[in-house]
Amino acid sequence: MSENWVLTETEAVELLALLISSARIQMDEPAHYGPLRLLTATERLSAMMLERSSDKSKAFLQDSIERIPEMHMAMSDVETYKDGLDHLCREVAGCLLRHSGAESASP
Amino acid sequence: MSEHVLNNIRTRRVVREMTDEAVEREAVETILEAARWAPTGGNLRPIRYVVVEDPETRRLIRLVAPGMFQKAPVLILICINWAIIEQHKLPHTDRTSLIDVGGAAQTMMLAAHAIGLASGPVTSFSKEAIKVILNLPGSYSPEMFICIGHKAEVARAGMRGWKKITWRDLTHWERFDNE
Ligand SMILES: Cc1cc2nc3c(=O)[nH]c(=O)nc-3n(C[C@H](O)[C@H](O)[C@H](O)COP(=O)(O)O)c2cc1C
Repeated sequence: MSENWVLTETEAVELLALLISSARIQMDEPAHYGPLRLLTATERLSAMMLERSSDKSKAFLQDSIERIPEMHMAMSDVETYKDGLDHLCREVAGCLLRHSGAESASP
Repeated sequence: MSEHVLNNIRTRRVVREMTDEAVEREAVETILEAARWAPTGGNLRPIRYVVVEDPETRRLIRLVAPGMFQKAPVLILICINWAIIEQHKLPHTDRTSLIDVGGAAQTMMLAAHAIGLASGPVTSFSKEAIKVILNLPGSYSPEMFICIGHKAEVARAGMRGWKKITWRDLTHWERFDNE
Protein backbone atom coordinates (compact mmCIF):
# COMPACT_ATOMS: atom_id res chain seq x y z
CA MET A 1 0.00 0.00 0.00
CA SER A 2 1.55 3.31 -1.00
CA GLU A 3 0.89 6.09 1.43
CA ASN A 4 1.96 9.72 1.53
CA TRP A 5 4.04 10.99 4.44
CA VAL A 6 2.29 13.81 6.26
CA LEU A 7 4.99 14.82 8.77
CA THR A 8 8.62 15.76 8.29
CA GLU A 9 11.16 14.46 10.79
CA THR A 10 11.42 17.95 12.31
CA GLU A 11 7.66 18.18 12.74
CA ALA A 12 7.60 14.76 14.38
CA VAL A 13 10.32 15.87 16.82
CA GLU A 14 8.30 19.01 17.55
CA LEU A 15 5.32 16.89 18.41
CA LEU A 16 7.50 14.71 20.65
CA ALA A 17 8.65 17.85 22.48
CA LEU A 18 5.06 18.87 23.10
CA LEU A 19 3.99 15.41 24.30
CA ILE A 20 6.98 14.95 26.60
CA SER A 21 6.58 18.45 28.08
CA SER A 22 2.87 17.75 28.56
CA ALA A 23 3.66 14.54 30.46
CA ARG A 24 6.01 16.43 32.76
CA ILE A 25 3.78 19.40 33.54
CA GLN A 26 0.83 17.09 34.15
CA MET A 27 2.66 15.85 37.26
CA ASP A 28 2.17 19.31 38.81
CA GLU A 29 -1.32 20.08 37.53
CA PRO A 30 -4.93 19.06 38.28
CA ALA A 31 -5.93 15.71 36.73
CA HIS A 32 -8.63 17.30 34.58
CA TYR A 33 -5.90 19.18 32.65
CA GLY A 34 -4.86 15.82 31.13
CA PRO A 35 -7.47 15.89 28.34
CA LEU A 36 -6.63 19.54 27.66
CA ARG A 37 -2.96 18.70 27.03
CA LEU A 38 -3.81 15.73 24.83
CA LEU A 39 -6.19 17.91 22.83
CA THR A 40 -3.56 20.63 22.47
CA ALA A 41 -1.20 18.03 21.01
CA THR A 42 -4.04 16.75 18.79
CA GLU A 43 -4.65 20.26 17.53
CA ARG A 44 -0.98 20.83 16.70
CA LEU A 45 -0.62 17.41 15.02
CA SER A 46 -3.74 18.06 12.95
CA ALA A 47 -2.35 21.42 11.86
CA MET A 48 0.99 19.84 10.87
CA MET A 49 -0.71 17.01 8.93
CA LEU A 50 -3.34 19.06 7.16
CA GLU A 51 -1.33 20.34 4.20
CA ARG A 52 -0.12 16.91 3.04
CA SER A 53 -3.10 14.82 4.06
CA SER A 54 -5.39 12.98 1.65
CA ASP A 55 -9.12 13.39 1.23
CA LYS A 56 -9.58 10.48 3.63
CA SER A 57 -8.55 12.66 6.57
CA LYS A 58 -8.69 16.27 5.40
CA ALA A 59 -12.23 17.07 6.47
CA PHE A 60 -11.73 15.43 9.87
CA LEU A 61 -8.46 17.29 10.47
CA GLN A 62 -10.02 20.60 9.56
CA ASP A 63 -13.00 19.91 11.79
CA SER A 64 -10.83 18.88 14.75
CA ILE A 65 -8.59 21.94 14.46
CA GLU A 66 -11.63 24.17 14.43
CA ARG A 67 -13.45 22.38 17.20
CA ILE A 68 -10.65 21.97 19.76
CA PRO A 69 -10.15 25.62 20.86
CA GLU A 70 -13.92 25.85 21.34
CA MET A 71 -13.86 22.73 23.46
CA HIS A 72 -11.20 24.24 25.73
CA MET A 73 -13.59 27.09 26.43
CA ALA A 74 -16.17 24.64 27.73
CA MET A 75 -13.69 22.73 29.92
CA SER A 76 -15.44 23.55 33.19
CA ASP A 77 -18.78 22.42 31.75
CA VAL A 78 -18.02 18.72 32.05
CA GLU A 79 -21.05 17.42 30.13
CA THR A 80 -20.45 19.71 27.13
CA TYR A 81 -16.77 18.78 27.21
CA LYS A 82 -17.63 15.07 27.21
CA ASP A 83 -20.09 15.55 24.34
CA GLY A 84 -17.39 17.38 22.36
CA LEU A 85 -14.91 14.57 23.00
CA ASP A 86 -17.50 11.92 22.07
CA HIS A 87 -18.15 13.76 18.81
CA LEU A 88 -14.42 13.81 18.10
CA CYS A 89 -14.18 10.07 18.91
CA ARG A 90 -16.96 9.29 16.41
CA GLU A 91 -15.28 11.43 13.78
CA VAL A 92 -11.85 9.87 14.30
CA ALA A 93 -13.39 6.38 14.17
CA GLY A 94 -14.95 7.28 10.81
CA CYS A 95 -11.55 8.51 9.64
CA LEU A 96 -9.98 5.23 10.80
CA LEU A 97 -12.50 3.25 8.76
CA ARG A 98 -11.80 5.32 5.65
CA HIS A 99 -8.09 4.62 6.03
CA SER A 100 -8.48 0.88 6.66
CA GLY A 101 -10.76 0.44 3.69
CA ALA A 102 -13.23 -1.32 5.97
CA GLU A 103 -15.91 1.28 5.28
CA SER A 104 -16.13 0.55 1.56
CA ALA A 105 -16.01 -3.21 2.23
CA SER A 106 -18.99 -3.18 4.62
CA PRO A 107 -22.40 -3.98 3.07
CA MET B 1 -8.96 58.19 44.63
CA SER B 2 -7.82 56.95 41.26
CA GLU B 3 -10.75 55.21 39.62
CA HIS B 4 -8.44 54.58 36.62
CA VAL B 5 -6.29 52.22 38.62
CA LEU B 6 -9.24 50.28 39.99
CA ASN B 7 -10.83 50.06 36.57
CA ASN B 8 -7.59 48.82 35.09
CA ILE B 9 -7.47 46.08 37.72
CA ARG B 10 -11.10 45.09 37.12
CA THR B 11 -10.98 45.01 33.34
CA ARG B 12 -7.70 43.11 32.78
CA ARG B 13 -8.39 39.61 31.48
CA VAL B 14 -6.03 36.89 30.34
CA VAL B 15 -5.88 36.97 26.54
CA ARG B 16 -5.16 33.67 24.77
CA GLU B 17 -5.69 34.76 21.16
CA MET B 18 -3.33 37.44 19.86
CA THR B 19 -2.62 38.93 16.40
CA ASP B 20 0.90 38.93 14.87
CA GLU B 21 1.08 42.72 15.10
CA ALA B 22 4.45 43.67 16.59
CA VAL B 23 4.76 45.38 19.96
CA GLU B 24 6.91 48.53 20.06
CA ARG B 25 10.18 48.28 21.98
CA GLU B 26 9.11 51.34 24.01
CA ALA B 27 5.97 49.54 25.20
CA VAL B 28 8.01 46.52 26.30
CA GLU B 29 10.32 48.82 28.22
CA THR B 30 7.35 50.56 29.89
CA ILE B 31 6.13 47.15 31.11
CA LEU B 32 9.59 46.15 32.39
CA GLU B 33 9.99 49.49 34.10
CA ALA B 34 6.65 49.02 35.88
CA ALA B 35 7.84 45.61 37.12
CA ARG B 36 10.86 47.25 38.65
CA TRP B 37 8.45 48.93 41.11
CA ALA B 38 6.80 45.68 42.23
CA PRO B 39 7.41 44.84 45.89
CA THR B 40 10.15 42.31 46.71
CA GLY B 41 10.61 40.33 49.93
CA GLY B 42 13.50 41.63 52.06
CA ASN B 43 14.26 44.05 49.20
CA LEU B 44 16.43 41.25 47.78
CA ARG B 45 15.34 41.56 44.14
CA PRO B 46 16.05 37.99 43.07
CA ILE B 47 13.84 38.35 39.99
CA ARG B 48 15.36 38.60 36.50
CA TYR B 49 13.52 39.06 33.21
CA VAL B 50 14.38 37.49 29.87
CA VAL B 51 12.66 39.09 26.88
CA VAL B 52 12.16 36.96 23.77
CA GLU B 53 11.11 38.52 20.47
CA ASP B 54 12.94 36.28 17.99
CA PRO B 55 10.21 34.34 16.09
CA GLU B 56 12.08 31.01 15.89
CA THR B 57 12.91 31.06 19.63
CA ARG B 58 9.27 31.85 20.42
CA ARG B 59 8.15 28.97 18.21
CA LEU B 60 10.48 26.55 20.01
CA ILE B 61 9.28 27.81 23.40
CA ARG B 62 5.65 27.07 22.44
CA LEU B 63 6.64 23.49 21.63
CA VAL B 64 7.64 22.86 25.24
CA ALA B 65 4.92 25.07 26.70
CA PRO B 66 1.62 23.24 26.25
CA GLY B 67 -0.14 25.92 28.34
CA MET B 68 0.90 28.70 25.95
CA PHE B 69 -2.11 29.04 23.67
CA GLN B 70 -1.15 32.52 22.47
CA LYS B 71 1.23 33.17 19.59
CA ALA B 72 2.46 36.36 21.25
CA PRO B 73 5.00 38.66 19.54
CA VAL B 74 6.77 39.26 22.86
CA LEU B 75 7.45 36.86 25.71
CA ILE B 76 8.81 38.06 29.03
CA LEU B 77 10.14 35.20 31.11
CA ILE B 78 10.23 35.85 34.85
CA CYS B 79 13.15 33.99 36.43
CA ILE B 80 14.42 33.63 39.97
CA ASN B 81 18.17 34.09 40.22
CA TRP B 82 18.96 31.69 43.07
CA ALA B 83 22.51 33.03 43.35
CA ILE B 84 21.03 36.12 45.03
CA ILE B 85 19.05 34.00 47.48
CA GLU B 86 22.18 32.00 48.31
CA GLN B 87 24.18 35.18 48.86
CA HIS B 88 21.75 35.98 51.65
CA LYS B 89 22.07 32.45 53.06
CA LEU B 90 18.37 31.74 52.60
CA PRO B 91 17.29 28.13 52.02
CA HIS B 92 15.91 26.99 48.66
CA THR B 93 12.64 26.23 50.43
CA ASP B 94 12.14 29.96 51.05
CA ARG B 95 8.96 30.92 49.20
CA THR B 96 9.42 34.69 49.27
CA SER B 97 10.90 34.80 45.78
CA LEU B 98 7.90 32.94 44.36
CA ILE B 99 5.66 35.57 45.90
CA ASP B 100 7.86 38.15 44.16
CA VAL B 101 7.16 36.39 40.86
CA GLY B 102 3.42 36.86 41.42
CA GLY B 103 3.81 40.55 42.22
CA ALA B 104 6.00 41.14 39.18
CA ALA B 105 3.58 39.22 36.94
CA GLN B 106 0.51 41.16 38.01
CA THR B 107 2.37 44.46 37.79
CA MET B 108 3.43 43.72 34.20
CA MET B 109 -0.03 42.57 33.15
CA LEU B 110 -1.65 45.68 34.61
CA ALA B 111 0.97 47.89 32.96
CA ALA B 112 0.34 46.18 29.61
CA HIS B 113 -3.41 46.66 30.02
CA ALA B 114 -2.90 50.32 30.93
CA ILE B 115 -1.12 50.95 27.61
CA GLY B 116 -3.70 49.05 25.58
CA LEU B 117 -1.85 45.73 25.22
CA ALA B 118 -3.08 42.22 25.91
CA SER B 119 -1.26 39.81 28.18
CA GLY B 120 -1.42 36.28 29.54
CA PRO B 121 0.64 34.41 32.13
CA VAL B 122 1.90 30.87 31.47
CA THR B 123 3.44 28.46 33.97
CA SER B 124 2.52 25.27 32.11
CA PHE B 125 5.86 24.64 30.44
CA SER B 126 8.79 22.31 30.98
CA LYS B 127 11.33 24.23 33.06
CA GLU B 128 14.16 21.93 32.03
CA ALA B 129 13.40 22.32 28.32
CA ILE B 130 13.18 26.12 28.66
CA LYS B 131 16.57 26.22 30.40
CA VAL B 132 18.08 24.43 27.39
CA ILE B 133 16.28 26.46 24.72
CA LEU B 134 17.22 29.82 26.29
CA ASN B 135 20.63 28.66 27.54
CA LEU B 136 19.77 30.17 30.93
CA PRO B 137 22.59 30.69 33.45
CA GLY B 138 22.72 27.81 35.94
CA SER B 139 21.42 29.90 38.84
CA TYR B 140 18.26 30.99 36.95
CA SER B 141 15.02 29.08 37.31
CA PRO B 142 12.31 29.97 34.77
CA GLU B 143 9.05 30.55 36.65
CA MET B 144 6.46 32.25 34.47
CA PHE B 145 6.08 33.67 30.97
CA ILE B 146 4.09 36.80 30.42
CA CYS B 147 2.87 36.83 26.83
CA ILE B 148 2.40 40.34 25.47
CA GLY B 149 0.62 41.32 22.27
CA HIS B 150 -2.54 42.66 20.71
CA LYS B 151 -5.85 40.98 21.37
CA ALA B 152 -7.33 39.15 18.39
CA GLU B 153 -11.04 39.63 17.85
CA VAL B 154 -12.44 36.12 17.79
CA ALA B 155 -16.07 35.20 17.40
CA ARG B 156 -15.59 32.40 19.91
CA ALA B 157 -17.36 32.60 23.28
CA GLY B 158 -15.29 33.05 26.43
CA MET B 159 -14.77 30.37 29.09
CA ARG B 160 -18.15 28.95 29.98
CA GLY B 161 -19.58 27.36 33.06
CA TRP B 162 -17.37 28.92 35.76
CA LYS B 163 -19.27 29.97 38.85
CA LYS B 164 -19.45 33.75 39.25
CA ILE B 165 -17.56 34.79 42.35
CA THR B 166 -17.33 38.01 44.29
CA TRP B 167 -14.71 39.12 46.78
CA ARG B 168 -17.13 38.13 49.55
CA ASP B 169 -16.82 34.47 48.54
CA LEU B 170 -13.07 34.75 49.06
CA THR B 171 -12.92 36.68 52.30
CA HIS B 172 -13.28 35.87 55.97
CA TRP B 173 -13.41 38.65 58.57
CA GLU B 174 -11.60 38.34 61.89
CA ARG B 175 -10.88 35.15 63.90
CA PHE B 176 -12.33 31.83 62.82
CA ASP B 177 -14.80 30.23 65.21
CA ASN B 178 -14.05 26.76 66.51
CA GLU B 179 -16.48 24.91 64.28
C1 LIG C 1 0.20 31.20 38.75
C2 LIG C 1 -0.62 31.25 37.49
C3 LIG C 1 -0.33 30.40 36.44
C4 LIG C 1 -1.08 30.46 35.24
N1 LIG C 1 -0.73 29.64 34.21
C5 LIG C 1 -1.42 29.71 33.05
C6 LIG C 1 -1.03 28.92 31.92
O1 LIG C 1 -0.05 28.18 31.94
N2 LIG C 1 -1.77 29.03 30.78
C7 LIG C 1 -2.85 29.87 30.69
O2 LIG C 1 -3.48 29.92 29.62
N3 LIG C 1 -3.24 30.64 31.75
C8 LIG C 1 -2.55 30.59 32.91
N4 LIG C 1 -2.92 31.38 33.99
C9 LIG C 1 -4.07 32.29 33.85
C10 LIG C 1 -5.31 31.84 34.63
O3 LIG C 1 -5.86 30.70 34.02
C11 LIG C 1 -6.30 33.02 34.68
O4 LIG C 1 -5.73 34.07 35.42
C12 LIG C 1 -7.63 32.64 35.33
O5 LIG C 1 -8.30 31.70 34.51
C13 LIG C 1 -8.52 33.84 35.55
O6 LIG C 1 -8.68 34.57 34.37
P1 LIG C 1 -8.53 36.19 34.37
O7 LIG C 1 -7.15 36.49 34.88
O8 LIG C 1 -8.73 36.60 32.93
O9 LIG C 1 -9.58 36.71 35.26
C14 LIG C 1 -2.16 31.37 35.14
C15 LIG C 1 -2.43 32.23 36.21
C16 LIG C 1 -1.66 32.21 37.36
C17 LIG C 1 -1.96 33.18 38.46
